[in-house]
Amino acid sequence: MSSEIFTQLVDAHYTPLFRFALSLTKNPSDAGDLTQQTFFIWAKQGHALREEGKAKSWLFTTLYREFLRGRRRAERVTPLEELGPVESDPPAPEVDLVTGMDAGLVVAALQEVDEVYRVPLTLFYLQDLSYKEIAEMIEAPIGTVMSRLSRGKAQLRAALARKEAGARGKVVPFQSQTARKLS
Amino acid sequence: MNNAEAKFILQGYRPNGADAGDATFSAALAQAQNDPALGRWFAQQQAFDAAVGAKLAAVPVPADLRAAILAGGRVTTAGTAHRAWWNRPAWMAAAGVAILLAAGVALWPKQAAAFSDFAFADAKLSAMHGGHGHESNELQAVLNDPATRLGQKLPINFANLHETGCRTITFKGRDVLELCFKRNGVWFHAYIARAADFPRLALNSTPALEDRGSTAIASWTDHDHVIVVVSKTGRKNLEALL
Repeated sequence: MSSEIFTQLVDAHYTPLFRFALSLTKNPSDAGDLTQQTFFIWAKQGHALREEGKAKSWLFTTLYREFLRGRRRAERVTPLEELGPVESDPPAPEVDLVTGMDAGLVVAALQEVDEVYRVPLTLFYLQDLSYKEIAEMIEAPIGTVMSRLSRGKAQLRAALARKEAGARGKVVPFQSQTARKLS
Repeated sequence: MNNAEAKFILQGYRPNGADAGDATFSAALAQAQNDPALGRWFAQQQAFDAAVGAKLAAVPVPADLRAAILAGGRVTTAGTAHRAWWNRPAWMAAAGVAILLAAGVALWPKQAAAFSDFAFADAKLSAMHGGHGHESNELQAVLNDPATRLGQKLPINFANLHETGCRTITFKGRDVLELCFKRNGVWFHAYIARAADFPRLALNSTPALEDRGSTAIASWTDHDHVIVVVSKTGRKNLEALL
């Protein structure tokens, strides 16, 4: 792979990859390392990828697998059978809640979402991959991805409400019983 | 499909419109258009998702990360055990002939070819590209319109597109905007640069077509911008847009 192509690949994808890594690791330093590690693997193996158009999915998938491989606390992942039901009729979220918030606070709220939901949810908000591509990446059926997005959004709304209340210096109880049950 | 089912599907619809061509959403989108309550919910959900997406896109990336990745990539490539193609005698001989031939070719329009090379390589690397934000969506809608022909003046506000989140990549130190659009079920990738940034480009206002294997490229200028459209599905689909 020529260095020009490699540079283009880095320029096209390193920013969303870092943000995805940040949502996983919750730490900018670890996120930077994980992003670098992903491109390091590409430099060693990526040239073997037959379909160049799959490079983006390959990078996101590799980053996620490297994260899972490096994590020592796999047992803390919430087993799916313990999860509550998907919200049957989710309320419309409050846009003003987000637009008035600092980006760091929104990311901190996203990082409070359970990892099993946070992975597809972050990929959804990065908007680089479709739900089908996300399903392929995390090796889950499409319906499961949709369910995780729904549950993840419920948790995110609850986390944002907590962040906003915290920023205003107030303590408020959970507004959504469903979100509480899922968290 | 009831509204709860429609909501379940619609909450997976990306706010940048990239899922517009996905048939999975068609029935739920139609229902949202016909049901005011569902339509309001969907509009709010999209606004919320766009706001969260914008916040995520605003998270700063470490300033030295790109340089570190590139340096690491160079070291890794240099250190790999397999012999690079350019290091093999037969290829070296062929490359030598190619260099001699290239040296004999007039320089013009070298820069134009390089820009289309760049667009070609970028389009090959990414299956689905960006074009995010309100301004991008508007330009995307024009490009998606079957009545729009390549070569006609497009409503391009480069600064606004850049500032409102359109995917921006760098070529020779200059910004190039990229957004994808869909026509007749086929995706195309448009690359837009400011003509002033590439003064040596000698393009016509009529799109010039070239083939690169199964990929076709159309290049032209509207005097203010240089535009390259790449089709990974061949010349026929691109010619249909002229």
